[in-house]
Amino acid sequence: MASLSATSLSFKAPSTRSTRISQVLRKASTFQSISFGRFQSSKSLRLQISCAAKPETVQKVSDIVKEQLALSADTALTSESKFSALGADSLDTVEIVMALEEKFNISVEEADAQNITTIQEAADLIEDLVQKKPAA
Amino acid sequence: MAAPFTLRKIGVPPNSANLTEARRRVFDFFRAACRSIPTIMDIYNLQDVVAPSQLRFAISSQIRNNAHVTDPKVIDLLLFKGMEELTDIVDHAKQRHHIIGQYVVGEGLVQNTGSKDQGKSDFLKNFYTSNYF
Repeated sequence: MASLSATSLSFKAPSTRSTRISQVLRKASTFQSISFGRFQSSKSLRLQISCAAKPETVQKVSDIVKEQLALSADTALTSESKFSALGADSLDTVEIVMALEEKFNISVEEADAQNITTIQEAADLIEDLVQKKPAA
Repeated sequence: MAAPFTLRKIGVPPNSANLTEARRRVFDFFRAACRSIPTIMDIYNLQDVVAPSQLRFAISSQIRNNAHVTDPKVIDLLLFKGMEELTDIVDHAKQRHHIIGQYVVGEGLVQNTGSKDQGKSDFLKNFYTSNYF
């Protein structure tokens, strides 16, 4: 009896082990494929974001900033110039963000809007939102 | 096209605890007002009269008028009055000449009180009030 049960157990054990192993293998393979896929897409997304802001977007942002802060047309605006350095107070910054919302037909959340301090950041955020919009 | 913005009428929230929260409410109010500008221009047919950037400037100048206030409760009250005004405008409770007179044309039809224009000279102030000074 004991031997029979032992043999039966022994027969069962490898089968269960094998099914488990096969399940694990299956899961592992799918998991690997998913993670690989995600890794690839996230890498490509990251690459997109880092070189996102096109020069014409930055140019449009600079134009809006100049108009809002009443700067003369020949003041040099680099993409790294901060709004506060150009003489904008916090209300001006919010107004600039609203002008950008209207110009590019996007909707900026409050949390995103608080992080904008330079022209480059604004252009990057605009690019992000413009890309997300047609997907939604 | 971004989703159209609707002005949600929330009840009166409790007073803001400190200046930073009052500041945040000011910006929220400003954002709500700016996002209502397309609706306002549609309701009152202001497309040929004014550009949205001018209306934004009018709203921000009104806010800047009171920028020297530091008491959070006073700021809350000013925001309440501002929100009331914005709700009236969006509800079409005002008419086109009200909007044009108050927000499009310079200082508006009603002359502002003397405390607001601090930059003008005494000569001009006296000159505007009477001939003899």
